[in-house]
Amino acid sequence: MSAPETLDLEARIRDALRIIIDPEMGKNVVDLGLIYDIDVQEGGIARVTMTTTIKGCPATAFLKEAVQNCVWYVPGVEYAEVRLTYEPPWTPDMMADGAMEFAHGSIF
Amino acid sequence: MFAATLSRWTMSYFAAALIFLVLGETMMVLGFGYPVLALEAPETLALVHVVVLGWLSLLMTGALLQFVPVLVGQPLSLPSVALPALLFLIGGIATLTLGFVGLSGAIDLPVTLLPLGAAFSIVGFSVLGFSFSVTLWHARPLPLPARFVAVGLATLFGTMLLGGVYAGVLSGLIEAAGAIDLTVDGLSLHASLGLCGWLSFTTMGVSYRLLTMFMLSPDKERTSSRLVFVLGVLCLGLLAAAVPVILVGTVGRSPLFLLAVGSGAAVVAIYVGDILRIYRERRRKAIELNSRASIGAFVSLVAAAMLFVALLSAGRLDEAIGAVIYLATFGWLTGMGLAQLYKIVPFMTWLECYGPALGRMPTPRVQDLVSETSALRWFRLFYLTVAVGTLALLIGSALLFRFASLGQLIAVNALILEFVRTRRLINVPAELRLPDGLVRPGLFLPSIPHGGSHEPRSL
Repeated sequence: MSAPETLDLEARIRDALRIIIDPEMGKNVVDLGLIYDIDVQEGGIARVTMTTTIKGCPATAFLKEAVQNCVWYVPGVEYAEVRLTYEPPWTPDMMADGAMEFAHGSIF
Repeated sequence: MFAATLSRWTMSYFAAALIFLVLGETMMVLGFGYPVLALEAPETLALVHVVVLGWLSLLMTGALLQFVPVLVGQPLSLPSVALPALLFLIGGIATLTLGFVGLSGAIDLPVTLLPLGAAFSIVGFSVLGFSFSVTLWHARPLPLPARFVAVGLATLFGTMLLGGVYAGVLSGLIEAAGAIDLTVDGLSLHASLGLCGWLSFTTMGVSYRLLTMFMLSPDKERTSSRLVFVLGVLCLGLLAAAVPVILVGTVGRSPLFLLAVGSGAAVVAIYVGDILRIYRERRRKAIELNSRASIGAFVSLVAAAMLFVALLSAGRLDEAIGAVIYLATFGWLTGMGLAQLYKIVPFMTWLECYGPALGRMPTPRVQDLVSETSALRWFRLFYLTVAVGTLALLIGSALLFRFASLGQLIAVNALILEFVRTRRLINVPAELRLPDGLVRPGLFLPSIPHGGSHEPRSL
């Protein structure tokens, strides 16, 4: 697989993952910054490193399985592996611009 | 890597707790117990145990079944105790309540119901407490919120032991002089350990984590939060130290009590400062209704603490302590409980129903399971009735208190209806409600066999 093909597959995986919504945040996992890394290797082997907003959250397992399923179904992917990590822990600063309206100090 | 799964029986705990809350509110509307009768009357004790054990403690234990694993990042030890413990607790609390009713003479019931109900309740709480404690033990070193829970469990144990002694003495089963002294002099100790330790201190710890999670505030242990913990342990330790003081019967309790009040007031002040910071530093602009409705609970906590100190300074604590207990029990603890249920119920319902479909088909957001505009007015009515009820107790108007309780009963029932609508997915847009292959969750019983298909297949 050539370098442009690899980049193209990475981009298509990233786009596909946008259909997965974090149920609490209501935003997709890519724009929330929960997908730390997408690594595509020779032969359509995709390794995704992801996190969740809260460690130990009961939605974690569902999110991980959703990412795994989603990546498998991207054309060109022959093998998908998803790794969950909390290093570094997720912070709101990792969100893409516009993914969340920020508060500015007031209670209401 | 560990990821908490759904607690199978938490929703059943919540359902039982809400039924006890409705029962307690109905008793208040009917004038059963305080303020129509004395604070120490058996009828009042029946009412207090319906609210504090039936409602608040079942709510807390049900929530801890789900959240202790989240707090410590470890699976719950002995999860199979949840159902038998719930059955013991429902039976025990109902029997204990009937025991107090029997003691009042309103109905002719055997006095042995009192120790029997206490024994069943103690078994239920002990089994759950053991499960939580083993989980916490395996997770050492504990994060700060979990340390609050550990101390809360220790005070639950102390509160239960004292309650067991009282039940034995009141029913005539225990005749030891020390036990009788404890019953005569230590009733307030039992109440304060239960309300300040088990219920309030645990709520404080869990609230640090929950509010931070749901509002995306910076999640780090602060010196001020550690100070809340240390001062809280000091306050509760001083309260517990009253037991040997009563048994020895030589030293006065006043210095211990005043020190406990001082440290308790500092705990409330610093804790509320921390909560203000969590709200101010949040990264989500919109405050969802669960966090908005919690503000009423924090205001009630501050008001109850200030009222307590003011009454103590004025030497009028004895005549108005009922108002303080009411404000803390309903404004702070019940308000916080209902507000957090407003998030926990949809969140757990979402996981149960839509979790397995995530990434396979379009799913609603957690927030799509609720209708904030209709619930907002019921939370407003709830806090209004708490304020009127407190005022009624301060001015000694039992009639006004019963009117306030009627309004509160309506608000509570309306919020329960909101929870039912959430469980029934009524607020979810029709096109997303139940796509092919998804099953609507049971109202309050687990619908999937243990280890069933709602668990993710691979991890």
